[in-house]
Amino acid sequence: MTTQQAGARPPLWRDVRILSWVFQLVVFAVVAAVVYWLINNYRMNTASSGIPTNFEFLTGPSSFGIPGSDFDQNQPVHSAFVIGVLNTLRISVVGVILATALGILIGIGRLSTNWVVNKVSAIYVEVIRNLPLLVIVVFTFLGVVFQVLPRIENAWKPLELLVVSNRGIGVPWYQGNSGGMLLLLAMFGAFGWWLIARWRRIVSERTGEPPRSGFIGAAFLILTLVIGWFIFGFGVTLPEVDGRQIVGGIRIDPSYFAVLISLVIYTASHIAEIVRGSIQAVPRGQGEAASALALGPFQRMWNVVLPQAMRIAIPPLGNQYLNLIKNSSLGAGFAYFELTAVTQITVGNGSPAVPAFALALAFYVVISLVTSALVNVANRRFALVER
Amino acid sequence: MTTATDPRRTLRHRDVALIWARHNLFRSRLDALLTLVLGAIGLYLTFRFLRFVFINARWEIIGVNLKLLLVGRWPVAHLLRIAVSITVLAFWGGIFVGLIRARQVRRGFADLDLIGWQRIGDLSRRFGLLIATMLLVLALATTVGPWLVALGLFIAVLLGRMVGFKLGSVPLSTPLVRLSTLVLVITPFVVFLYLVDAVPFAEWEGFLFNVTAAGAGIILCFPLGILLALGRRSKLPLLRSLSVAYIEFVRGAPLYVLLLMANVSLEFFVPPWIAPSKPLRAVVTFTLFTAAYVAEIVRGGLQSVPHGQEEAAKALGLSPYRQITRIVLPQALRNVIPAQIGQFISLFKDTTLAGLALGILDLLTAGQAVTQQDAYRGQGLIIESLLFVAFLFWVGSFTMSRESQRLERKLGVGVR
Amino acid sequence: MSESMETVFADATQAVGDAIIELEDVDKYFGSFQALKGIDMKVGRREVVVVIGPSGGGKSTLIRCINRLEKHDKGHVVVDGIELSDDVRNIQEIRRETGMVFQSFNLFPHLSVIDNVTLAPRLVRRMPKNEADDLGMQMLERVKIPEQARKYPGQLSGGQQQRVAIARALAMQPKVMLFDEPTSALDPEMIKEVLEVMVELAQGGMTMIVVSHEMGFARAVADRVVFMADGQIVEVGTPEHFFTNPREDRTKLFLSQIL
Repeated sequence: MTTQQAGARPPLWRDVRILSWVFQLVVFAVVAAVVYWLINNYRMNTASSGIPTNFEFLTGPSSFGIPGSDFDQNQPVHSAFVIGVLNTLRISVVGVILATALGILIGIGRLSTNWVVNKVSAIYVEVIRNLPLLVIVVFTFLGVVFQVLPRIENAWKPLELLVVSNRGIGVPWYQGNSGGMLLLLAMFGAFGWWLIARWRRIVSERTGEPPRSGFIGAAFLILTLVIGWFIFGFGVTLPEVDGRQIVGGIRIDPSYFAVLISLVIYTASHIAEIVRGSIQAVPRGQGEAASALALGPFQRMWNVVLPQAMRIAIPPLGNQYLNLIKNSSLGAGFAYFELTAVTQITVGNGSPAVPAFALALAFYVVISLVTSALVNVANRRFALVER
Repeated sequence: MTTATDPRRTLRHRDVALIWARHNLFRSRLDALLTLVLGAIGLYLTFRFLRFVFINARWEIIGVNLKLLLVGRWPVAHLLRIAVSITVLAFWGGIFVGLIRARQVRRGFADLDLIGWQRIGDLSRRFGLLIATMLLVLALATTVGPWLVALGLFIAVLLGRMVGFKLGSVPLSTPLVRLSTLVLVITPFVVFLYLVDAVPFAEWEGFLFNVTAAGAGIILCFPLGILLALGRRSKLPLLRSLSVAYIEFVRGAPLYVLLLMANVSLEFFVPPWIAPSKPLRAVVTFTLFTAAYVAEIVRGGLQSVPHGQEEAAKALGLSPYRQITRIVLPQALRNVIPAQIGQFISLFKDTTLAGLALGILDLLTAGQAVTQQDAYRGQGLIIESLLFVAFLFWVGSFTMSRESQRLERKLGVGVR
Repeated sequence: MSESMETVFADATQAVGDAIIELEDVDKYFGSFQALKGIDMKVGRREVVVVIGPSGGGKSTLIRCINRLEKHDKGHVVVDGIELSDDVRNIQEIRRETGMVFQSFNLFPHLSVIDNVTLAPRLVRRMPKNEADDLGMQMLERVKIPEQARKYPGQLSGGQQQRVAIARALAMQPKVMLFDEPTSALDPEMIKEVLEVMVELAQGGMTMIVVSHEMGFARAVADRVVFMADGQIVEVGTPEHFFTNPREDRTKLFLSQIL
């Protein structure tokens, strides 16, 4: 905007700059008025209900316990919130990893020349994508967990290693302190994998032979774990049925199981479409140029098509991850104590609704913004360099 | 040694089948393994599923409760109003179909070469699934009423299409155009009032609730969504920040949490003499929620309109309001029709959340409730019930999705 | 066959040096449309053949059949003694011996210029990185843009991108270079720089089959000009014969439209 003008200055009520500011202020005033009216109603209504509308409830005792953890009713509410957030992250992170793996498989399957693989993938995507997520969760929860899975007295024990029942799934788990050692070994193996990858890359550049760092690195990791197992002799606890409980091993909560499976199945169908679309979006000429250079089909996919497809896929993929995180809130309806469930329970126990939900929403918005930012960073880092 | 077969040489069917099988199923060892394993699993599951659906399942739980699932506890005396409303809306929808077709013919897009049997074939491919579903549901019905309604629907759509086509093909005088546009826009609201007169919105349940809540949500959110999109694109900082704040906040929030919140605290924000019913809370939440997503879709549409359009409008002396409403917005909205339909489908599926969050007896909740009836409790009939519920949602979503893709191809545009 | 067709046949099969590419009675169908009808052609070592003709005449299909980007339905295609069949090994070997330059460049946008050029030598010929980089720089110098090595395709002009594409194909040290309308997508001021590179290649003794509309190029370096229309080879001849005294009416019609 220039401060000098050619010609006479227009009268105030016709000056374009002033008019636009006036317009803004009017809109702002209208919005402010509406907001004020809402807040005013809120104040009046809550005053008559007697519940204080601030955040003091966070320090009070929770009056509820969370099964499956040490949380009891005397601990403060904010601890419950922390547990809720952790549970949300627990199911989200695992869900994202599993959904991506499954989604990529099915997405590539959709493009397969094998008729059976192609049709099976297509049916999966077209059926799941058009169902409401809640229907899938209800079906998994009521239909599978409580109809198909047996009661604890008749639990399935496949291979004598697992215990499968409608009270949870028992999985063998390491005993006591072995966990730390296992973790150390895994980290050592991963570090070795990384070193091997670097070494193989140098060798490959020097001699031209293919690096094969994936195979060798993975072999090293497995070898490390196996040797470590023999040397340190880890204890393993096997799950067993004791009355109406599963003791030993680790128990996968049926709620967690049902919600996780549903989230994975649902989100994978969307990810499959994204993967398929992004591979198809890579121009045909790229694949042709790679073929003309005598690159084999795997080399073509790995070096030319997939890198470009990945760039196209990053924003919609990030969007799906966000959806999965938000959809984890459905756990509240199925006895999984994630953030929404905790909020709902504490409100039911007398905490003021608006501050409690506002807090929960703030968490979700923050997680959402963080994920968006990460996606943007990934997008920029992998963007194609242009003029 | 020839390297390829001459396609002009006639091949026996067996040869064709063998070549196809080798190419598509058994190209390599891994390929063959996948074919056998997946094929075996697929066939087994399909067999089990079909056997369940046609032999073992007890579908009478659906047949007996069809009314409850579709319209909840709607008073029987007023069921006729629903029948009338559906027929009127079918006629109304038919008019739109006819209008679009007339426009296609006028502009030369129509596949006029599809006539006679080819056209019937094309139509049956497109709507076959929908019709088959309706027939299946009707087959479960225990009274003759649904059959009559279905017949009425069919006739109404055809009539509407004929009227719409006529309307679109004949040049009309401006007052007549204004009048017919008014009638078309008002019809759904009149039908709504007609139904609410008999049964207040607070008591709308079943599949009716899902459909109506989705429809109301998408229609009501449009003005707000467009305003937000325009605000976001505005150069005025205050407007921009307000719009961005709203959009980013709502998009970061899970719909389920918003519904839970609406359930317990919506009444705090309105004067005490307004006591919002549960369905109303749901619709308000849907509207405010979807507006943010529609805003982003419209923003994409606005970006897809070439800058020169607005400049040309400016150069012609149109006011900013006219520039937007007459030139930019119509093009923007038309470009993103497929994305808007996608959002509607999303909302349609998300209406199930209102059932869980607010305790409304929507189709999904009703589907669970019928298994608790005395006659059916504890018999594991939840699977039949859920299959029916899933099927209804799936058919609706799939059909709309497919028509949207078809529309996208026809329009030749697609801004996602 | 008429007298002129026999002459055509003789001309097409006659080659400079022994034949490195032989096409015998090649047909190609796209559905029910026949794109190539009984093509017979031989290309000799160090020979430069320019293929001209109206669009849809089958020129691109012809050279795309040579490196199996399109599969021929009937007849034989032999490249440097290797018959092009469904055998994967043959296909890969032929692709190693032929280099292709596309109308739309098809450079890999996510790799730098030098990586574009060295990708295939490293992965396919298993060349060590240092050797491949040296070779790559040599090729880039040959097309006169060594200074762009670290840049990305998106940062280069059209003419520069096409020259990188030529360098990329040359890096595999092919015996034959196939050009599919290499200058058709370029702005006029950039066509010259690409043609200069191609002329140098030809003068250096590379066997080339070039589909192009650039008559000046044909006149300058072509050993033979082949005119194709409606999927058939209509006339073949030296550039002088072709442009000054064409035999077939179809050829005369085409030339009158473009010259």
